[in-house]
Amino acid sequence: MEALSLREENGDKSGVVGANTLQLIAFSIGEQTYGVEITTVREIRAWNGATPLPNTREFVRGVINLRGTIVPIFDLRARFGDGQTSPTKNHVVVVMSVGDKWVGILVDAVSDILTVNREEIHNVPEGNAIDTELLNGIVTHESRMVGLIDLHAVVTGAKLDG
Amino acid sequence: MSDLDDFKATYFDECSELMNELEEQFAAIESGERDADRLNAVFRAIHSIKGGAGAFGFSGLVGFAHAYETLLDYVRDGRVEMTDDVVTLCIRANDIVADFINAAQTGEELAADYGAEEKQRFDAIARGQRGDEDEWSGEIIEEFDIEFTPVRVELAVESEPEVVVEAVAESEADTFDAPPMPAEPGHWEVRFTPFRQLYSRANDPLLLFRELGALGEINVKAILSEVPPLSDFEPFGVYCSWEISLFAPDLTEAAIREVFEFVDGDCRIEVVPLGQAAAPAAKPAAAPKPVAAAPVAPAKAENLLALTEDEVVDAPAKPATAPVVEEEAGLSFADLASEIVAAAPPKIVAAPTPKPAAPKPASAEGGEEGGNRSVGVQSIRVDLDKVDRVVNMVSELVITQSMLTQQMDENLRARYTELVRGLEVLAQTTRGLQDSVMAIRAQPVKSVFSRMPRLVRELATKTGKKIKLETIGENTEIDKTVIEQLSDPLTHMIRNSADHGIEDPEKRKSRGKSEIGTIRLSAEQAGGNILIIVEDDGNGINRERVLQLARDKGLVAPDITPTDEQIDQLIFAPGFSTAEAVSDISGRGVGMDVVLSNIKKIGGSVHVRSWTGKGSRVTLRLPLTLAVLDVMLVKVGESPYVVPLSSIVETMQCSGATFERVPSGGQVLQVRGEYVQVIDVAQRFNMHSTKAADERFVVLCESEGSQKVALVVDDIIGQQQVVIKSLEENFEQVEGIAGGTILGDGNVALIVDVQGLRTTMIHQNAA
Repeated sequence: MEALSLREENGDKSGVVGANTLQLIAFSIGEQTYGVEITTVREIRAWNGATPLPNTREFVRGVINLRGTIVPIFDLRARFGDGQTSPTKNHVVVVMSVGDKWVGILVDAVSDILTVNREEIHNVPEGNAIDTELLNGIVTHESRMVGLIDLHAVVTGAKLDG
Repeated sequence: MSDLDDFKATYFDECSELMNELEEQFAAIESGERDADRLNAVFRAIHSIKGGAGAFGFSGLVGFAHAYETLLDYVRDGRVEMTDDVVTLCIRANDIVADFINAAQTGEELAADYGAEEKQRFDAIARGQRGDEDEWSGEIIEEFDIEFTPVRVELAVESEPEVVVEAVAESEADTFDAPPMPAEPGHWEVRFTPFRQLYSRANDPLLLFRELGALGEINVKAILSEVPPLSDFEPFGVYCSWEISLFAPDLTEAAIREVFEFVDGDCRIEVVPLGQAAAPAAKPAAAPKPVAAAPVAPAKAENLLALTEDEVVDAPAKPATAPVVEEEAGLSFADLASEIVAAAPPKIVAAPTPKPAAPKPASAEGGEEGGNRSVGVQSIRVDLDKVDRVVNMVSELVITQSMLTQQMDENLRARYTELVRGLEVLAQTTRGLQDSVMAIRAQPVKSVFSRMPRLVRELATKTGKKIKLETIGENTEIDKTVIEQLSDPLTHMIRNSADHGIEDPEKRKSRGKSEIGTIRLSAEQAGGNILIIVEDDGNGINRERVLQLARDKGLVAPDITPTDEQIDQLIFAPGFSTAEAVSDISGRGVGMDVVLSNIKKIGGSVHVRSWTGKGSRVTLRLPLTLAVLDVMLVKVGESPYVVPLSSIVETMQCSGATFERVPSGGQVLQVRGEYVQVIDVAQRFNMHSTKAADERFVVLCESEGSQKVALVVDDIIGQQQVVIKSLEENFEQVEGIAGGTILGDGNVALIVDVQGLRTTMIHQNAA
């Protein structure tokens, strides 16, 4: 594994291997690290409550006002089936665009910006349906495993009967 | 080429307006009002469509419109009588014109002989009346066939001078001073100076000349002296004017001017009978190239004119200035200029148009303002996006204002009286501002109603039924967005009425009804809502069949017996269709479902009533505006919710209300002898109510069809105005929620969908 070879220094935008690399925003839920492609991220903000949305699954934490538009917040921990997060002011909402919609993902903390090589992305091992459903792949960074979140999958099935 | 595309877009906009106008005129004509005004309006509309089509090279449309126009012309001057047959043919022709326009717009190809049959009938009718004036119709149409198709009019927009050079190569001269024709009666000289907007409105001088040519013998000369050297040449500049000498023995000035009727205000026209013609003052076009910005230079006078007009915007004398100057031959230019200088000295010093190419826009404005017909009717086309931006901002302003007002507690009020007064004024002004902005967006429902007669005609032909459409209240105004959303639901509802409602003529007869079925489409304002009602005098809803189908499809459980009203509402359930044979008109089981979802999307509701054998009525209740909603702010659990004020009948404390149990385990509320279904919002939305049952509140709402429903909430906070925000923009539709809104403190509150809560209740009970 040449996993460490492409570590990004802060501010280094030289991007020598542009097409072949992927920049990720990494965030944590408990001990786990996950990442999404940096280009999908619109904004990172502290948790400041949300208006609960009835008739939706438990991982929909509600909606917030993002400069005049209403944006739904998904609790990633609950989405993975680990029960709802009890958010504090230290929790973080990562606002991203999925298709033409904007959604917020509630996570414990945002940790880093990573640059990884596309070739190093592994398939998710078969076994746990939730993992294969919600992750696009797995990549190793500084000997930590980073799960790549499939945003489309995360936001589907949010309604109670849907 | 994007400019041309702009022109095209404008042309198509105008076409759709003209088609609406046609539809309206024919509605009146059909009902017997066959006066000259209406005919003229029809003629003008068709002529305008034709003119534009010629400019863009839509030859099929031009050809058809021309034949149609010829017929109309004959009707207009009485050579053809406006019989019912002719009216029917004309109405059919309108549909064909609409198809041509549509094809031109979408780039679709119509069959080569599309409309040919009708065209032949026009010709036949026209020829039948021709009698001894044989050349008339025949020749024109022929000539037209040869000449119209290859006209390179798109070029004409850009490179006008080229065409002109071709046309009158031999006349280089500015031969104004010597009238070329002897002064005898019947000789006219027409000076035609187009403004830039003449071209931007897709007019073509060539067509005008041809029409002049139809009046008599013409000799056209182009005045090219204004054409600048190529280096200064602006592609869209207008440099050319024409001098046309016309010989026609018994022609009146009015008849000549009529040719230019459609370009009135877009050009300057001088019609001078030869003999008393042409004092030198009346020829700004032939003036020498302007030197500096000297205020008295004749060529500038036109500018000055425009400027002074700008200066005296509201002066009633304004329209008079320009035309009078043009026609009063004796007045010398120097006099004129000095007069103008006297009228508006400060502006002339700052005259901003020193270049020879520039005068056009200024004079164009002057011409438009001076056009005597445009007095009082002043409207502009504005991009809807721009209006929307203003609406949104005003909406936010209204919210901010109401938030500020809420912040003023008694304490503050006592201390800052000036501030309070200021806030009150602000409140009034924002209200006024909001109303005005909404008025900009409001449009009469006519624009969508007028598409329906054609639909009904087509449906009648397809189904072999006889159907008459009546429209009432088409001047009722609603927000433009609502109108746009209205077209599909109305189409579906009318199809449904025509297909399922109205019976065959024989069946109607056997039932003692008139053979002709009636569909009535009406619009009226009721409080903060607009009601759109589609009624028919047909069969009514076949409740047995509906119930049977609903049971078959599992929409209603076998052991439930819904009320008649509930059965009627079932036709809106997704996937429901009662048509025995799926026709291409309706019956795919999507129609009424679409109606409901479209109407819900814009915050409206749908209600249907039916009388077996007598007919049915579908009522759409729509909000007047989509932007701002008056609501009552309530609390359920810890969350804020808002209920539209328009649906609230009254509120009361639970401690004072009389609840009764019903066998299903649910509750009903007794209000003044009426039993009302109770919905505990907290329970419905799975929220924890923190309050004791007695301390909660009942919000009594009226949903569609005067059905009341009592919502139980935890607290009532107050009334306010909110801006509706879509949940679907970033999420999806949620049951029981009509949307969201942002409160003064920045939090999101959800809007309760009263009607939705009630129907899901019925469905849940039924399932």
